[in-house]
Amino acid sequence: MRREVPIVITFVVGIIMLLTNFIKIGAGEVGLIQQWSSELSNWVIIVAAFAVGLASVNLMKIHSNNITRQRPGWVNSLILVGSLIAFAIIGTIARLNPGTATAELNQNLFDYVMSPLGAAMFAILCFYIASASYRAFRMRSAEATVLLIAAVLVMLGRAPIGELMWNQFPGIAKWLLDIPNTAGQRAIMIGAAIGGFATSLRILLGIERGHLGGAE
Amino acid sequence: MSFLSKLQNIDRRVIYVIVLLALAIPLINPLGIPLSISPLTEDVYNLVESLQPGDVVLMSLDYSPGGSPDVHPQAVAVAEHLYKKGVKMAMVSFWDAGPMYGEQILKKYEEQGLVYGTDVVNLGFVSGGETAIRQFGFDVPGTVKVDFRGKNTAGMPIMEGIKDARDFALVIDFVSGNPGINEWVRQVQGPLGIKLAAGAVTVNVPQTMPFVQSGQVLGLLQGLRGAAEYEILIGVPGTAAAGMDAQSLGHMAIIAFILVGNIAFLLDKKVK
Repeated sequence: MRREVPIVITFVVGIIMLLTNFIKIGAGEVGLIQQWSSELSNWVIIVAAFAVGLASVNLMKIHSNNITRQRPGWVNSLILVGSLIAFAIIGTIARLNPGTATAELNQNLFDYVMSPLGAAMFAILCFYIASASYRAFRMRSAEATVLLIAAVLVMLGRAPIGELMWNQFPGIAKWLLDIPNTAGQRAIMIGAAIGGFATSLRILLGIERGHLGGAE
Repeated sequence: MSFLSKLQNIDRRVIYVIVLLALAIPLINPLGIPLSISPLTEDVYNLVESLQPGDVVLMSLDYSPGGSPDVHPQAVAVAEHLYKKGVKMAMVSFWDAGPMYGEQILKKYEEQGLVYGTDVVNLGFVSGGETAIRQFGFDVPGTVKVDFRGKNTAGMPIMEGIKDARDFALVIDFVSGNPGINEWVRQVQGPLGIKLAAGAVTVNVPQTMPFVQSGQVLGLLQGLRGAAEYEILIGVPGTAAAGMDAQSLGHMAIIAFILVGNIAFLLDKKVK
């Protein structure tokens, strides 16, 4: 029963979500199956919201352990837990009292702390990419040479200075993006879609049972 | 170590310093390198230009602080254009940070006289990724009963007549990853045939191109450059245009290092 019941639920829910795109039952503006699928989608939204809360609890548990046992890097855990609590409290008060000083503080914390820190983390990648591309882009083989030339041409085509050097660079970069890139991307997308469809079918029919937690 | 070997193994700290200078100098002292406008940026501009005052446009702010330097200037520039056209703005997000960026944008326009709930609304964050996008697209009022500021959306003038995503004159997804444009296309644009445009972080542009070619995405702002081009089109140069010189020199520094490394590699190979 521990396996059969989840498989039946998966099958029924999956079939409803699948049929909602093809079949309409009932005379109203919204069909019966569409109503069911809408309800199920709302459940997903609610479960996903709970998952965020669950993740926060898990994060608190792991990092609180780090702090109490003074594991290496426990100061970082302390900052994380402190920030999590502070943002959660201020965010909740701000949400309950829109237009107040707390709401403004919440927005300022985001605008002047969270957002610049996140942007800075991403910006640091620029330096790593510069160093990595210098080391990785070497003409060691024909394939590497093609990759190197394509990368340089796209960079020159995308940066305004490239266009200033030669006005054909943007056109070349556009061609590379439009033709070889799109062909490759489309092939990946179609391949992934077919793979996704096949896997979904296996899950619906109970052949694929990995999500139930067993090896069978 | 020979000179050629040294050129192939430049210390990473030297690379960091040179890239830093290449980025910082033009930010402090702009070079004013001219910028041409991409046809895909013009497509987004023309879509907004074709809207009528009173139309409602949905901006889906699906980006995080990490992607915001590339994508947020796009949203700011498009919002400015919508404001100038007298078009109403509804914002939603399937990324948790999105509503905060929405508030940043709305603050300016509320100070300029736009009325919250009538001209603009921030519908907030909807959890659930791809499923949430589908549910929102098919049942807008049922999915967001309460907005980001805790107000009921039911009585809002801006939400009158909005049942599903087709009731928006245009949907623009500003995106730095998944869920984002792929999900909007396959869950909402395909089944409902909505008018959809996008503003993507630069690394997402290649994977968005097939949807542009298929006509499912009607226009695309490509990274910071797309934002800079849009700022030029609407005649309001902002942070994106200012950042383009830095991007130019940054790219040139990387290309210079790649060339130096390869020339040294080939010469070294010839000598050996």
